[in-house]
Amino acid sequence: MSGLATRLYKGQADLNIVGKRKIWFTVAAVAVLIAVVSFFARGFTLGIEFSGGNEFQVPASVGTLQHAEETVEEALAEAPNPGGDPLRVASTQQVGGGEGTYLIRTSEMEPEQSEAVKQHLVEAFGIPAGEISNSRVSGAWGAQVTERALLGLVIFVAVVMLYLIVRFEWRMAAAAVSSLLFDLLLTAGVYSLVGFEITPSTIIGFLTILGFALYDVVVVFDKVQENTRGITASSSQTYAEAANLAVNQTLMRSINTGLVALLPVGGLLFIGAGLLGAGTLRDLGLVLFVGMGIAVYSSIFFATPVLTTLKGYEPKYQAHTQRVLARRAAIARGDVTPKTARSPKQSAPAQPRDDAEVAALAGAAPKVGARPTAKRPSGNRGGRSGSRPRGGKRH
Amino acid sequence: MRPGRQLAVLALLFVVLYLLVFLGGSGSFMDRLEPKLGLDLIGGSRVSYTATTANGQAPQADQLEEARQIIESRANAYGVSEAEVVTEGDRNIVVSLAGESDDALANLGQAAELRFRKVIKVTVDNAAAAVAPSASATPSGTAAPTPSAAGTPTPSASASGGQGGGAPAPSASPSATPTPAPSPTGTGTAEADQSGTRTPEQLLADAKRKVGDAAWAAAAALQSPPDLSTDPAAAAQFEKFSTLDGPEVAVLDPNMQYNVPTIGCAQLNARPPGSIQDPAKQAVSCEASQKLFLDVAKVLGTDVSDANGVLDQQGGDWVVSLDFTGDGQKKWTALTREAYENTSGACDASALGDQGKCRVAVVLDNEVISSPEIQGVLTGDSQITGSFNSKTANELAGKLRYGALPLTFTQNEVQNVSATLGTEHLKAGLLAAGIGMLLVVIYSFFYYRLLGTVIFLSLVLSGLLVFGALIVLGRQIGYTLNLAGIAGFIVSLGVAADSFVIYFERLKDEIREGRSPRSAVPRAWARARRTIISANAITLMAAVVLYIVSVGTVKGFAFALGLATVLDLVVVFLFRHPIMTMFARTRAFLSPRVSGLGRVLEKEPGEQPAKPRNPRVKEA
Repeated sequence: MSGLATRLYKGQADLNIVGKRKIWFTVAAVAVLIAVVSFFARGFTLGIEFSGGNEFQVPASVGTLQHAEETVEEALAEAPNPGGDPLRVASTQQVGGGEGTYLIRTSEMEPEQSEAVKQHLVEAFGIPAGEISNSRVSGAWGAQVTERALLGLVIFVAVVMLYLIVRFEWRMAAAAVSSLLFDLLLTAGVYSLVGFEITPSTIIGFLTILGFALYDVVVVFDKVQENTRGITASSSQTYAEAANLAVNQTLMRSINTGLVALLPVGGLLFIGAGLLGAGTLRDLGLVLFVGMGIAVYSSIFFATPVLTTLKGYEPKYQAHTQRVLARRAAIARGDVTPKTARSPKQSAPAQPRDDAEVAALAGAAPKVGARPTAKRPSGNRGGRSGSRPRGGKRH
Repeated sequence: MRPGRQLAVLALLFVVLYLLVFLGGSGSFMDRLEPKLGLDLIGGSRVSYTATTANGQAPQADQLEEARQIIESRANAYGVSEAEVVTEGDRNIVVSLAGESDDALANLGQAAELRFRKVIKVTVDNAAAAVAPSASATPSGTAAPTPSAAGTPTPSASASGGQGGGAPAPSASPSATPTPAPSPTGTGTAEADQSGTRTPEQLLADAKRKVGDAAWAAAAALQSPPDLSTDPAAAAQFEKFSTLDGPEVAVLDPNMQYNVPTIGCAQLNARPPGSIQDPAKQAVSCEASQKLFLDVAKVLGTDVSDANGVLDQQGGDWVVSLDFTGDGQKKWTALTREAYENTSGACDASALGDQGKCRVAVVLDNEVISSPEIQGVLTGDSQITGSFNSKTANELAGKLRYGALPLTFTQNEVQNVSATLGTEHLKAGLLAAGIGMLLVVIYSFFYYRLLGTVIFLSLVLSGLLVFGALIVLGRQIGYTLNLAGIAGFIVSLGVAADSFVIYFERLKDEIREGRSPRSAVPRAWARARRTIISANAITLMAAVVLYIVSVGTVKGFAFALGLATVLDLVVVFLFRHPIMTMFARTRAFLSPRVSGLGRVLEKEPGEQPAKPRNPRVKEA
């Protein structure tokens, strides 16, 4: 085990993720921009289930289903194709037993294209044109399904927002939901950009990400909440630092979760794409792989930084941050003895208080007295820019 | 012992589930172990409906699409099995369902033109008595006679606004009304041929010829149905009317349909679908064994925005609640005012309800579903009360909701279709599942050492629970498993394994803080439980919201998601926690080589003070 791996394992990686949030926000903004531009410039490639297609009915007397399918594929390859989108067979079915018919659905075609395909089939099978029927079929996935799914998505976001506000608080709720939207947007962006075909399986996979993405964020926020409980009573840690610590402590879990969830998905993708080519398994595997990957990333590099930024606007934490920094400055000047020997475990709620008392008694920090006034809004208006020095110190 | 008790509950759950699996099914041992698979994996049946419009032209594309959606909603209303509904060409709608499901397919294309009509007059259907000698002439698909036979003057299901507690009298039994419904469809093809070949004019001419001019003139002159109890002979001259078939009766003037005593409910119910759909015409229809003369339709099916079967909070009875569209609400208020005030005495005394107010009939196709007495001017949402149970209330609500199908359909033969994907995809899916699970297990053994066994066992357990649940649900609510569903469950197992990671990482934290394993387990559990519950609650919310709101494939998915999440919680609470509690009592638990947790203790004594955990350090 290398050094980093060991530290990761022990939850002590000490990566400064929250501190460098400007970088993550820039990355996120660029990614979202690319995704949105792609929506408009490239759009999405919709499968036959959405856009509809053509259906050929061929009597079963022409041979096996596989033979019929291959012949149709040949015909599709030879049909004139000015549009450029490759024509393909979407599904094949046998209808009725014994002397039934084969039902072959293909991509959507222009009338002249389907006529050409039919002509080719007539020649290849050596049967009269009257025995092959050709009709246009609609998508099985109606606009209604999409509408209701979107409605469900909106209601879910609203409900989950409420739940998170009750369970945590509104800033965490906002950060979690924005991280969710970020995932969905980016996943859709990847689809639009690469031009993967969108099928019902893709939509299903997309909705699976909903739960997963938030799940991940909730686990991280749970730790953040635990670490920052009563943080204003102490002057040893700023909110950003405590949040960063939480991210680090849950980092191994995030990686583990990501791996454990992505392993089966990888299996699906590998088998689906490798053995069967296009199909449900590949579609589902692909969207889950992309979406969950982004979800793991965003729970670490997006959700918590957003939360910290939002918290930065809260007067209570602004004042607290200033106090912590001031105390540190005092320590640096040697006015106060740092208590390094104490184990910094956040699980000892009794100790931070005397920590704070030490700071208060020392009176070294110019704004120590800010603690009681911190709750008054008037005292904090001017303090808004107070979060700046913290950022400045980091760099 | 608490852990023992939890494990016992789990074992009980298992026994019950698999008893259901084996006792609930039929066929051989292996058959009983087969979940209900979807259209893409095992094929199913397929039926096409051909749309017919009044003028014989192909319907407009948007109307056909609307019809497709309605049929899809109906197909989906049967449960969470996924129906594939597509339009084919310019007038066909093709429905495919998994498995052998002829009966489910039968009613999908049924026309359902919904109308609200004021009841003007009511008479008892005594066609059978009137033509007693030649009763055999009535068509065979008769309406089921309801127990509350001819004598009762008013079927009194009553409507009331909001909380209105009108005494719901039981006689308008809605469960009986759907019974005649299959008969038009059953004979649909035969009649469609006839009516297709005969124009209304020809039908009218046929009817006249069958009846004879004298009887025709007498019938046209009738102002009200003759009173047969005082003058039994009055029916004699109309005897020939009982020989008319449905399509012929349909073209008669509504007054004649109502007044002629020998035209019975059986004939009226045999009229082709859509015979009384014209909202501008008065109409005659039957409820129980009464003939109702109905006013022009002032509120249409398209005015209803939603209908639901709900349990009335006050009375504890099932009622059907109705929501109207904005415009529809105005029409409905106007109609109920008209009925409540009985302006200009339009309703005959025979048609009034118990409280002397007019009734309004809810007419679907050719039948009266219910004809409640209006007990007030209804300006808001309304309820239909009556002797409903949850099934009939939801059935009626479903009919009302989908009651706006603008076309009528002829059903073609039901055919079997093969799977679109087939067994090779099923095998590939299962192979993928195996590989995925294997990778997860290898990883957890590598990372958590012996604790990997706990993960492995709970994965097996989850898998078995999911499998059993799928079989039982397939039988109970028709849940079908398609390839996407299988893939979804595989993924959910992986995600479920995450709750282990949360728990074990917590455990690691506790042990690192110097707790003994025995005290670390309950502490870590208490804290991990909170996280696991809130994280799962979110997934569950997603599942519930999507299940309630969405339709079709998405609904099926939401169900699978919810099921997987609930089973995950079951395994977490009833298996993993007790097992870990028992595990913590063993000595091997602490050994680094065994548990994978001990590693955090390695080199700990020397390292502890220097541990750079304080974030302050990195700032320096």
